[in-house]
Amino acid sequence: LPMAFRDVNARRHIGLQQLSSLAFAGRTLLGPMKSCKFIVDESTNQSALICSAFRLIESLDLTSAAGQLLNETIQAQNKEFKTGMSTLLFLAGAWSSAVLECLQQNVPVSAIVSVMSEGLNSCCERVQCLQRSIHDVSKELCCSKACQIGCGSLLNPQIFCYSQKEISAPEKVPINSHSCQEGDKYLVSPLASFGSVASLVKPAGDKSTSLISGCNKRKLTHSRYFSTLGKSHFSSQQGTFEERFSGLSAYPCQCSGLGHLAMALSHGNQTSMKLLESIVAYQQERAECSGSSQFNVAEIVTCCLLGLPESYSCVSVGFVTLVSPEHARVVKHFEDKPLRILLMDGDLSEQYRHLGFNRPSNVRTISKSPSLQEGRAGDSWLSTMLDILINFQVNLVLVKGNVCENLMERCVANCILVIGSVTRDVLRAFGEATGAQPVTYLTQLNAACVGGGAQVELWKACDERAVDLGELVPVRVKAEGIGLLTAVLSTTVASKVQLIEDQFWTLVYRLHHALNDKKVFLGGGAVELLCLSHIQMIAEQLSQPASRDTVKEFPSPWLAAAGMEYRSVVLKALAGGWKQYLSAIMCNAAEAASELEACTAVDNHLKKAADCGSPSAYILQEFRRGALVIGGSGPFADYVEGLKVYDNVTAKIEAWRRALDLVLLVLQTDAEIITGPKMNQLLNSYVSSEFMFL
Amino acid sequence: MSRLEAKKPPLFTSEPLTKDKVSQSLSVLSGVLKSCYGPAGRLKQLHNGVGGYVCTTSQSSAVLCRLSVSHPVLRVLTASVQNHISRFSDCGLFTAILCCSLIENFKSLNVGSCTVVKISKHLLSLCMDYLKSESCGCRVSVDFSSVETLLCLVRSILTSKPACMLNKAEADHLTVLILKAFMFTVPCHIETNAVLGKCIIVPVKGRRVEESTVLPGLLIETLEIPLAKQLTIKRTCSNMIKVALFCVSLSGDCFDPEEGTITVHHGISLEMSELNQLLNLGKQLVNDGVGLIVCQKVIHPSLKQYLKENHVMAVDRAGLSPMEPLSQMTGSKPIVSICLLSPSSYGSLKDVRVENVASKHFLHLIPNHTAVCSLVLCNRNETTWDELKRACETAEHVLQLTVKEPLALLGGGCTETHLASYIRHKSYSLSSSSLEDVDCSRTQYQLVADGFCRSLEAVACSLNHNDGEILTDTVYGHCWFVPSGFPSDSNWSDLVSECGCRIKGKTENLKWRLLQGQFGSPVIQSCPKEPSEKVADFLTLDCFSAKCSGLQVAVETANLVLDLSCIIEDQN
Repeated sequence: LPMAFRDVNARRHIGLQQLSSLAFAGRTLLGPMKSCKFIVDESTNQSALICSAFRLIESLDLTSAAGQLLNETIQAQNKEFKTGMSTLLFLAGAWSSAVLECLQQNVPVSAIVSVMSEGLNSCCERVQCLQRSIHDVSKELCCSKACQIGCGSLLNPQIFCYSQKEISAPEKVPINSHSCQEGDKYLVSPLASFGSVASLVKPAGDKSTSLISGCNKRKLTHSRYFSTLGKSHFSSQQGTFEERFSGLSAYPCQCSGLGHLAMALSHGNQTSMKLLESIVAYQQERAECSGSSQFNVAEIVTCCLLGLPESYSCVSVGFVTLVSPEHARVVKHFEDKPLRILLMDGDLSEQYRHLGFNRPSNVRTISKSPSLQEGRAGDSWLSTMLDILINFQVNLVLVKGNVCENLMERCVANCILVIGSVTRDVLRAFGEATGAQPVTYLTQLNAACVGGGAQVELWKACDERAVDLGELVPVRVKAEGIGLLTAVLSTTVASKVQLIEDQFWTLVYRLHHALNDKKVFLGGGAVELLCLSHIQMIAEQLSQPASRDTVKEFPSPWLAAAGMEYRSVVLKALAGGWKQYLSAIMCNAAEAASELEACTAVDNHLKKAADCGSPSAYILQEFRRGALVIGGSGPFADYVEGLKVYDNVTAKIEAWRRALDLVLLVLQTDAEIITGPKMNQLLNSYVSSEFMFL
Repeated sequence: MSRLEAKKPPLFTSEPLTKDKVSQSLSVLSGVLKSCYGPAGRLKQLHNGVGGYVCTTSQSSAVLCRLSVSHPVLRVLTASVQNHISRFSDCGLFTAILCCSLIENFKSLNVGSCTVVKISKHLLSLCMDYLKSESCGCRVSVDFSSVETLLCLVRSILTSKPACMLNKAEADHLTVLILKAFMFTVPCHIETNAVLGKCIIVPVKGRRVEESTVLPGLLIETLEIPLAKQLTIKRTCSNMIKVALFCVSLSGDCFDPEEGTITVHHGISLEMSELNQLLNLGKQLVNDGVGLIVCQKVIHPSLKQYLKENHVMAVDRAGLSPMEPLSQMTGSKPIVSICLLSPSSYGSLKDVRVENVASKHFLHLIPNHTAVCSLVLCNRNETTWDELKRACETAEHVLQLTVKEPLALLGGGCTETHLASYIRHKSYSLSSSSLEDVDCSRTQYQLVADGFCRSLEAVACSLNHNDGEILTDTVYGHCWFVPSGFPSDSNWSDLVSECGCRIKGKTENLKWRLLQGQFGSPVIQSCPKEPSEKVADFLTLDCFSAKCSGLQVAVETANLVLDLSCIIEDQN
């Protein structure tokens, strides 16, 4: 009996039920105000803090077929976009339950499939009117009133408080600003960049803004927050800045660029946004010099520092990583010296062979002189390798894989710094900057492979002190003209490390995709609201007898009537998904006390939109006023003016499409066929009556 | 310690078809396959139940290769269907469903199996003669000077696989791409024996279907993006790129683990000597002016470095699939040994470029003039991509078969019902001499013919997965669908809009009858006519050769199963 087979009950589709219950777990992860979850493994008592659908699904044990398909879908979305997974999860759940209701009403499966996918296509076309080109958005954000009164007002009040708190420890501020000195040392910590944003006070029309110099950018006196808080302090600093930086090359104005866009896409994630802004500023400057792409994800890496407060998060030029104290001593020794650098794209150990090399098993070595000991062989490898490194005067080795412990010790003793587990992107960046050519074996080494001009130093936090995190010390490797940036993410809470890193990358990729798409959607629920109103309108038109156009397609009144009835039921189900989505976001953001209240608010918008005649015009107008689903009331209320939120186009539409595809794929499945050893277990289990055995 | 166990005696089962278990298993299998059939077919999730890969599909090739049936009768059936699929790719479900229905229908007849076999063979030959005759009313000829019919053929295949999750625009886009890819494989200069080229499917999972594309030549994915300045490849004096193709590993591990033990003295490194040999090979390649080396397996990093320093581009880990088309398009012979390097094995390419397709980097190898192309196939996730790949391969194969036999059959159940009408008509007007040839009575003949026709009609009925009704018209014998829940007082003509293959609309007064449920009452049928209209857009068409073969395989397999008198199983 090698095969079992389970018929899926058509009315109460088990796969759809599984989908909707799995997705229910993710509803608090939706929108800008997420609630984190602890996932606890009862058998090991280990727990994980998660704040994204991707991590949620990753941490769950999904053995059911529908669960696995869900996992595959979410993974695919994550791999492609790094954003939109929570939307996908939520809509997959909402549409699953909606489809289940359609099945209860005896709507044929084929009608559900065709009407739902038609409906989604129609929505995707409809919402094109809510797209804005990147160019327009950047320009608009710069000219907006918000910008003119200081971009600080774009921030929500929480962040405002957070900023104030930081200001109250003013000794940090000059240090951040001081980082300007080296131009590349510290781009900006969250605080400093706050200042930089706040300084963007001139309207974009003014040509001079595009040429604000690097130091001018950091004038903090223009900020209404800063100026009231510590004016004397800052102005005293200001003079020195200008003195120091007057010779520096001009910084491009963020107004003309992507900083605002990053902010509009950040959806309230301040820490990441600040980091991204400084990355954008740096990369744009480089782009203007070298003509490379404006924003390059491959030149960004992250380094997580556990044990430092989150305010220490910042962006550093070069590669920041954690090394042992012994290595840190070598780093100290090398400080301010130009180093010869070697890149290795495999492991650095005697046993390592390149991928695809099969070790011979049938070779026996015989030795004429028995005095030679086995252990010597390893020693000779060590000294040969060390000799090679010394001969080529290599000071610094970046290795993609692992490094043999013994060799590492010998290198430290000989003042050669070896850093392992370095990603491909980092190797590439150092290859470009120093001219080093990656090798797989040290025996391959020739003079052309070794690069020059690398530098190392202890990484210093924004208070200019080197940091010692117990067993590990952060160090920074850089080279003249390197494009690589490290976002140093610090936190004192161990379980937040992954969360912070995920959030940072989400934002990075949002900007990346926005630039790829060359357009963004109006955010804050505008797109979903239009979909909802669009679908409801079609559904209502169908239920009215007046819609003669569609009747013509059908050969007989009965067919027409039946077709219409199904269509309107299915379209309502589709619209229900977006309605639930909007109300869940409102509930999460505490803009509505209950789901009922949220639904009423959404209905209110829908009614007004319908009354207005052109729903898209209404939504556009409400968006301009900032009075859409998110941002209408509640904590954002005072800062609504100028608060513009934008979303990715492709990532969002793809998330919808993937969610619907998943639901329809599961819906059309009528049987599970289980093969292999699990079969025998099923045969003897209590569910065996559900199966047929072949 | 060895343990001896007495051999079990073989198990003998006589008259296997009369056993309940066989009929049960057969009806489960037939149910599974019927529910998969057609564009509205239901999907199956095939998995191991413990978290392994879930295959969601409705294609016979995927279902049957994962489904392991235990009963010998079923194994005979699935094996012959799988054999058909391996030869024709298409019409697997048709074959399997028809075969199951034939077995079920013939088994219930009160006619000796020997007679049934004879009559059904005669019926099969009637069908085949009709299908191959000019007067056949359910086939269209494929005109290669226009793309219309070919597009219909490809689109019908794609839309009959719902697990591909294509919407209309995506299906149209892919239809065109597949046809384009097929055109690329047709050689421009036809010599005495023309051979179709090859289309390589390049997987890009996770992207939108619209990003799929087709390019002449071959794409090989590269992780390392060669910068434009690094792409200076040595060219020969005729501005071509000399290519060497290795199917042997150049990783420097040329020891054969099978052949005994090698004993070496301490201090001698086999690895070093292998590497030296490789570097000598590299030297020779450089001296011979080779510009590009493609290796199916791995190239040793030192050799790669040496080649790079000498401006020779080296691509390794190309895999097995591009090797044959590469050799075809470059005219090079794959080199199997690093010791025997002959300049005659080199081939040539017109150009090598870096191509970005669906945000992946590819080396694009452009041949002079050869019928090799790459179809970059995208779909949103692994499950749907796998299904789409199978569908595309089927479509390519069907186009190749259609070149050999430029005919297509009407799809959407119309061929089945039309054939059934034809057989019904023929069986009533059969001459007594034919009956004598078959050696049976007229009643027997008509009983078996009725079973045969009901089996064909059962295939058409399997296209319907909602509770509606299926009709056939009395003039053309086409297949018509009526949705469920219609009022009892309605006329058929109010409920139908177009036939299954979409060649007939409800333009004239036709008479319909229900396909199912007319047991016992013989249907008097005149010879079905051929529709006079010109072939319209969006016709549903099936591959002629595949369907003819499927019909034959189904009837012959059913005959074989019916003829089984006993099964002897070795239980050891």
